[in-house]
Amino acid sequence: MGLRWYHFALWAAFAAGMFLLPEIVPRGTLRTIIFANFLAIFAISWDTLSGRTGYVSFGHPFLIGIGAYTTAILTKRFDVPVEISIPLAVLMTMVGGLIVLLPALRIKGSYFALVTLAMMELMYQLVQVIRPDLTGGTRGMSGLPTLTRGAVNGFYMSTALMLSIAFTTWLLMKTRLGTALSAIGMNEEAVAGSGLSVTRLKLVAFTASAFTAGLGGAVYVHYLGSIAPRALFDINFVFTIIVAALIGGAGTTIGPILGAFFLTFLLEYLRPWLPGAERYLIYGGVALVLYMYQPKGLIYLMGQAVRRVRKGAA
Amino acid sequence: MTLRKLLLSTALVGVASAASAEIKVGFIGSLSSDTGLSTLRGAEMAIEELNAAGGVMGEQIVLVTADTQEDVTEGVKAYEYLAETEEVDFVISGSIDDVSLGWLPRMQEYQIPTLDTWTSYIGIIDMVVEDPEGMAPYFMNIASDEALATLYINFGADVLKAKMGFESVVVLAEDTAFGEAITGLVTEGLAPVAGIEVKEVITYDIGTVDFAPIFSKAESTGADFIYQVSSVNSQVISSQYVKLQVPMAMTGVNVSALGLEYWEDTGGAGGGISTLSPVPSVGFALDPVSQKFVDDYQAKYDSRPKMPHFNGFNAYYGLKQAMAAAEEAGGFKDVAAWSSAMLKQDLKLEKDGKLWLRYGFWDYDTVEPVTNRTYPHNALFDLEAPYDFAQPSMVVIQWQEDGTVGVVYPFEYANSEFVLPSWVK
Repeated sequence: MGLRWYHFALWAAFAAGMFLLPEIVPRGTLRTIIFANFLAIFAISWDTLSGRTGYVSFGHPFLIGIGAYTTAILTKRFDVPVEISIPLAVLMTMVGGLIVLLPALRIKGSYFALVTLAMMELMYQLVQVIRPDLTGGTRGMSGLPTLTRGAVNGFYMSTALMLSIAFTTWLLMKTRLGTALSAIGMNEEAVAGSGLSVTRLKLVAFTASAFTAGLGGAVYVHYLGSIAPRALFDINFVFTIIVAALIGGAGTTIGPILGAFFLTFLLEYLRPWLPGAERYLIYGGVALVLYMYQPKGLIYLMGQAVRRVRKGAA
Repeated sequence: MTLRKLLLSTALVGVASAASAEIKVGFIGSLSSDTGLSTLRGAEMAIEELNAAGGVMGEQIVLVTADTQEDVTEGVKAYEYLAETEEVDFVISGSIDDVSLGWLPRMQEYQIPTLDTWTSYIGIIDMVVEDPEGMAPYFMNIASDEALATLYINFGADVLKAKMGFESVVVLAEDTAFGEAITGLVTEGLAPVAGIEVKEVITYDIGTVDFAPIFSKAESTGADFIYQVSSVNSQVISSQYVKLQVPMAMTGVNVSALGLEYWEDTGGAGGGISTLSPVPSVGFALDPVSQKFVDDYQAKYDSRPKMPHFNGFNAYYGLKQAMAAAEEAGGFKDVAAWSSAMLKQDLKLEKDGKLWLRYGFWDYDTVEPVTNRTYPHNALFDLEAPYDFAQPSMVVIQWQEDGTVGVVYPFEYANSEFVLPSWVK
């Protein structure tokens, strides 16, 4: 697996640094980090499937939405406790996602991307017209039970979740399975030629991705306390997730986290100067320039910087 | 203490006192819609006037904005930004219903005095009834949708049935939760009370661009008139109704017709369309104070909306009332005291010696006689003529074929008559 002690030391330092933040930064910043944490979870989920295997999904909110809506409906309409509804929502995301999206893994490239996009659109339309008494229709649902109250508690919850998911994903990707998934992204035929079952590998990647998306979506909705289809199944939401993964560094675990934090803070720090939609113009421009300058993402730029410092020191 | 430390602490005290010597108001709403801009500009004008008069409690008022883009999640972020980063004392909202519902749990958490000027969702007033303590900072100065609908039923009986002689209706409703809710009110309230038969309910997709087949289907029902329910792309259905010269009367709810820009948005094809509207609306005669507000508004802003929507008036008067309540309560920090002072605010505006508009709030105990329920923290309204308690919860306005617009109901506020378009025989 190529694991070294300093890998774990770095993870421990990262976690310790994160958990110290409430002592250092104001509550407003903690609120921003909460949204960055959730975006990081969604970006990790997307990257597990798309960043590794090269099967680009444009419909990731479809999976996030299954998790979010399942727990929202269970808690709001059937008074199911959150401790039960969230695991059920994760299970539902994995099963529902498998039934609907797995056949799509047989197709490749832009066709796969289009099918996933269509799935998201289908979900958007369905929640509005099928049983709006359950889903809340176009209005969605509000007054959902929230898991935490206050910025600090929300920060600890979202950070713990994000770190757990990131660490687990990192460990998974350090196994031979992770190597095989990355190999699919490079040359699927070669992987098949080596005797490995590509379908089975993609199934694992998809299931892991769905698990993360479902868990993230379910917890997210109980952080917000509300859910609305227009906000969830929105093309901008898809792009934000994809851009976070790409700008940070696709095919890595830390990359999507970096990208999510960069994008979320960029948007929030622009708010006092550009309170309207103009912020998104800057955000799009910065993302474009960064991606064109270094397609491997921020993680690669950071690696280069560290190497330069080391060389200078030597 | 060294000189450096002394200087530093002096500077910090200076910064802290400078920061506290102002009252911070946060606007939450869309910065790119006529709705959001109406509230924002109403608030800006109220703040300018208050500051020119010396501010509140000797402090100047500053306004910060947070855009929701009419998106629920962005609304939550925007409220958090105002609360945690800007640390505002008071929030004025031009949010749509869904967005307000999204940030309401945050308002309950932060307990920041908040005034909603556009959202009319009765469910929020129900929350005030159920949780008076947690919802103490919240006020809504537009009549809630139940009150809007109750008066609209009277329009059905007094005008559509009694005056026009309509016996049956076909409902054209957009396929949204809003469409479903209003259709429910029409079929369960308007039709039975007014004695109008609902022939059919036709639901259309909000992406519809060609309404010809839908109008044909409506005609084939043999109903006397069409009741439209449209909040999304409403100018499309109304302009096609005019261009196709559909030979049936059409009334209902058309959100795009609430602004003065409706005529140009429909390319001049909006004549004959009528819609319910909260007050004051376009075409609504104004009292002198409100007229001055509009004159000042038009002198100050030269972009759309040319005239503030009803929520612009709500923001203008409501913000002044919130500041007056703060003066009485010694600021915004003691939420219970501020809430109690806000509940007592009562602005009566007269026109020609008659009570014309009233900006005040229902208390916890007073039962509204028509609906027989309470509306704590909701704007005062009157559901019965002669409207000597407050203004009606809504009016019906109609755009004429020459591009003018006027109020057609209630009769006490009407300045034009409900007429059929010229092509309807």
